[in-house]
Amino acid sequence: MTTFEGQPASRGDRFSGNADELILADESSVLADIAGMLRSILDEIDDGDRNEYGLDVAQIEMDTRFHRDLEMESIDLVTLAGLLKDRYGGRVNFAEFLAGMDFEDIIELSVGTLVEYVVRSLRAPEVG
Amino acid sequence: MGMIDTGDIRLHVQRVPPAGGRPVATAVLVHGMLTDSLASYYFTLAPSFAQAGIDVIMYDLRGHGRSERPDSGYTLDYNLNDLDALLGRLNVTGPVHLVGNSYGGTVAFSYAVRRPERVASLSVIESSPATPAWAANLGVGMRQWAARMERDEPAVLAWIRDNRGRHKARQAQRAARLVRATTITRDVPASRVLSEDQIRSVRCPTLFVYGGESDLVEQSPWLETLLPDYRSVVVPGHEHSVLIEAPHEVGRHVLALIHEVATAEPQDPPSEAGAL
Repeated sequence: MTTFEGQPASRGDRFSGNADELILADESSVLADIAGMLRSILDEIDDGDRNEYGLDVAQIEMDTRFHRDLEMESIDLVTLAGLLKDRYGGRVNFAEFLAGMDFEDIIELSVGTLVEYVVRSLRAPEVG
Repeated sequence: MGMIDTGDIRLHVQRVPPAGGRPVATAVLVHGMLTDSLASYYFTLAPSFAQAGIDVIMYDLRGHGRSERPDSGYTLDYNLNDLDALLGRLNVTGPVHLVGNSYGGTVAFSYAVRRPERVASLSVIESSPATPAWAANLGVGMRQWAARMERDEPAVLAWIRDNRGRHKARQAQRAARLVRATTITRDVPASRVLSEDQIRSVRCPTLFVYGGESDLVEQSPWLETLLPDYRSVVVPGHEHSVLIEAPHEVGRHVLALIHEVATAEPQDPPSEAGAL
């Protein structure tokens, strides 16, 4: 992913991406992006599989947890990994991010931890 | 994320390319029964395998994860046909390193019997080859589980949620749907099993990984007498879910085998079977 023209990569800018696809590397923008991805995943899931408690998926915040609050299973996180790759390219490798974690930690993962990881990844200087 | 249509069924497949571009080997990872999916590899072994230069292929077995869930057709032979068709659709022609967890290992082992020329090595985790004893035990286990669910699913799920966590409860709920909606409970135990001669025919390097607290390690001495190149590892302190609980340890052993086989000179004879 190239940086915005005229802006050096190493400054860790708020902006990243080429001129056609501006991706704002700040928390609130990334949170909005990811909330959209999560809604599309949750919408796709068969009604029969959803829990009976009734989720308020409009409220996806930094402290929302994938399993505890959104009832997402690990297979849903695989779908999310694909959406993240489509949106952010190779800089954001969700599977690698999770590979260092215990399964128990993954279960307790919050949207905020993912947002912070994405922002960090987008702001990191380009390699090569 | 990809869906591959084999012509018979649509399977969810994830492929993680090797770091550095050119693969030293291709691995196909097969997950376990009912409550499992490719996610148990995607976040554990796949990243480190890709880092090690392996082209990693994972897929959801029919009825599981995001793969299609037909009403019937769940014997081992269907899984073998699916794997055959999948490798064909992916244009994977050379021998692959198969890795199977639990039922996935049973599938992988039977595949090595059916297609010895397509399997470079076999690593199975907490798994048994398809023997009559395997079929009998699995039949009892699956029927008991299905009966408990049918009697009082909400109570079972509540127990799992309180004692094993919400994630396990969701997996159990999904598995209950699979059991209710398909013939899987009847089909799997009725699968065609292997003879001792067929087991002996698996000549590729084979690694069996056991959780130290699990019963499956009891089969090890018998398998060692049958298999030409049998290696085994026991991971102490773990039971059947050793892949999820100790992924780095499990991954390390599997990677070592794949690396050994992938870098071996073609003329080398198979090494001596490793002791337990």
